[in-house]
Amino acid sequence: MREITYSKALNEALDEALAEDEDVIVYGCDVGRWGGIFNITTGLQAKYGADRVFDSPISENVLVGAGVGAAVGGLRPVVELQFADFLLTAGDEIFFKAGMWRFMHGGAFTVPLVVRLPSGATGAGPEHSTCPEAYVMHSPGLLCCVPSTPADAKGLLKLAIRSDNPVMFFEHRRLYQTRGPIDDAAAVAPFGKAAVRREGRHATIVAWQVMLNRALKAAETLAAEGLDVEVIDPRTLAPFDFETILASVKKTGACLVVEEGYRRLGVGAEIGARLFEEALPYLDRPFRRLAIPDVPIGSAPALVNRILPSEDEIVAAVREMTR
Amino acid sequence: MRNDLLAEIFRKSLLTRVFEDRFVRLAMEGVVPPLLHPGAGQEVAQIAAIAALQDDDPVLYAHRGTGYMVARGVSLSAMLADCAGRAGGTNNGKGGIMHVVDTARGIFGESGTLGGGFVISVGMGMAAKRKRPGQVVIHFFGDGGSNRGTFHEALNWAAVQKLPCVYVCENNGWAVSVPVSESTAVENIADRAHGYGIPGVVVDGVDPDAVLDAVRVAAERARRGDGPSLIEIKAVRLRGHYATDPQDYRPDAAEAASKDPLEALRARIISSGLMSEAEVASLQAACEAEVEAAVVEMQAQPLLSAEAAFEDLLVQGA
Repeated sequence: MREITYSKALNEALDEALAEDEDVIVYGCDVGRWGGIFNITTGLQAKYGADRVFDSPISENVLVGAGVGAAVGGLRPVVELQFADFLLTAGDEIFFKAGMWRFMHGGAFTVPLVVRLPSGATGAGPEHSTCPEAYVMHSPGLLCCVPSTPADAKGLLKLAIRSDNPVMFFEHRRLYQTRGPIDDAAAVAPFGKAAVRREGRHATIVAWQVMLNRALKAAETLAAEGLDVEVIDPRTLAPFDFETILASVKKTGACLVVEEGYRRLGVGAEIGARLFEEALPYLDRPFRRLAIPDVPIGSAPALVNRILPSEDEIVAAVREMTR
Repeated sequence: MRNDLLAEIFRKSLLTRVFEDRFVRLAMEGVVPPLLHPGAGQEVAQIAAIAALQDDDPVLYAHRGTGYMVARGVSLSAMLADCAGRAGGTNNGKGGIMHVVDTARGIFGESGTLGGGFVISVGMGMAAKRKRPGQVVIHFFGDGGSNRGTFHEALNWAAVQKLPCVYVCENNGWAVSVPVSESTAVENIADRAHGYGIPGVVVDGVDPDAVLDAVRVAAERARRGDGPSLIEIKAVRLRGHYATDPQDYRPDAAEAASKDPLEALRARIISSGLMSEAEVASLQAACEAEVEAAVVEMQAQPLLSAEAAFEDLLVQGA
């Protein structure tokens, strides 16, 4: 099995989608000549031409809105928004148009649109640092991918482009250079199917992307202490595989969600509420969340590190929960 | 323009007026919600503009009036059913009169947020250019909607890409209750075309020939691959923002009423000898009968199942 980086996996997914379907177009700020500020679209304009892979003005509203219109018109646009924070810059187009154009017109249209949203805290300041996927999970009509491995980055992006539904695709910038195995012959698990990244019986951790990697490292530390932690990667937040979490919690009796989004009404809040509604008899320990406390994310590394959930905090939280 | 086309624009405009007046009475009776933004005064221009296009050129319409739909022959009873929550509508109870859709007739819907359609039209233009060369996308909007930032983003990128789009502003002088002079820095919205390097023209909304010609020129330019155009129709708004708006904020209501483009067209049709007064009266009666038949047809439809609330969101299995 070969090993590739997360960014190469995304590039391969776009490359193959462009090759497979003439209706696929890729555009956004700097994605053409430069190949994207994070080099995800490198080489694609040279290979497929400026009619299919092209640069756009700095106009987030029309980037996404044109994606909706192009999708309605029969294309399969893949739009890069450069920073996931710009989800809110293009709020009308994402939440009202992509999410509801089909619904409010009685199902007359399909909207096969993918919006790529590079996310995560890299010290670029409050408007270029967030993981805002909770907004998407909260809103009807949108699918939401949060791939954590190169294999999922490629597989989920290809599924997203083939989907007839609008997909918000969150790529974590701090994962771009991470490497992982990819089995080109293997089928990709569909949307709404979580992955159990580590099995355990004492506590369940739900985490994705950078927080998943921290949770897996924390699990090793805890294993040395005799605590077997189960680690679940949801892969997609909409649809959301609650069943896998429920089955795990029935086994472990304890659940911690670790996320890089804001804590208040975040993804963890939703998971906790559902556990309260559906799994209270199985929870032997109080549900716990680790997330960004409800302040904006500054740019100085010390400030960022102070508020991002750390491996040590995950270890401490599991120790405290299972005491 | 040819007499038969002028007569057809008159017939559809009259039908639109009769339909919308009946809609307002249905709203007063509580049969439909009073959410129609009546297009009285603007229907002649809307219908003349659409007459300049091919029958399958996509239309993204504005919120004021139903002339666009009548121009393309969308079922009147279906539009009423959309509003009355009955079966047989075009949007399954989801969008009322704001989101009437009929893709077979090129009616591609509307953004509920005003000015939200500009950006959709750009993508539709991108798809037309690649998949259906020769197709033109027309987008109608008001003077109020033109003050959204989306106007700038969309017209700029449409011009950069030379998309086959025609932008038609129906400037009726009022954004709900705010006069255009208090909301807009330029006298003519069309002047903004200079900022995008595209043609911008102003036409009189009382004159269907001027509207038809302007849209034809813009559509030909678009079909040639030369890019979008901006047309501003100086329009007349005869009614309130919504069906039961008393519009006591308007000092110009009486003046507007004296400029009704439909009355001007009626007078022209008669004075030119195209139709006699008796023929016009008979056409009016035929429009009223058509609308009454649509009301009866709508009322014969069953109410939508409340379970429709859960339909039409995502494509299942995709």
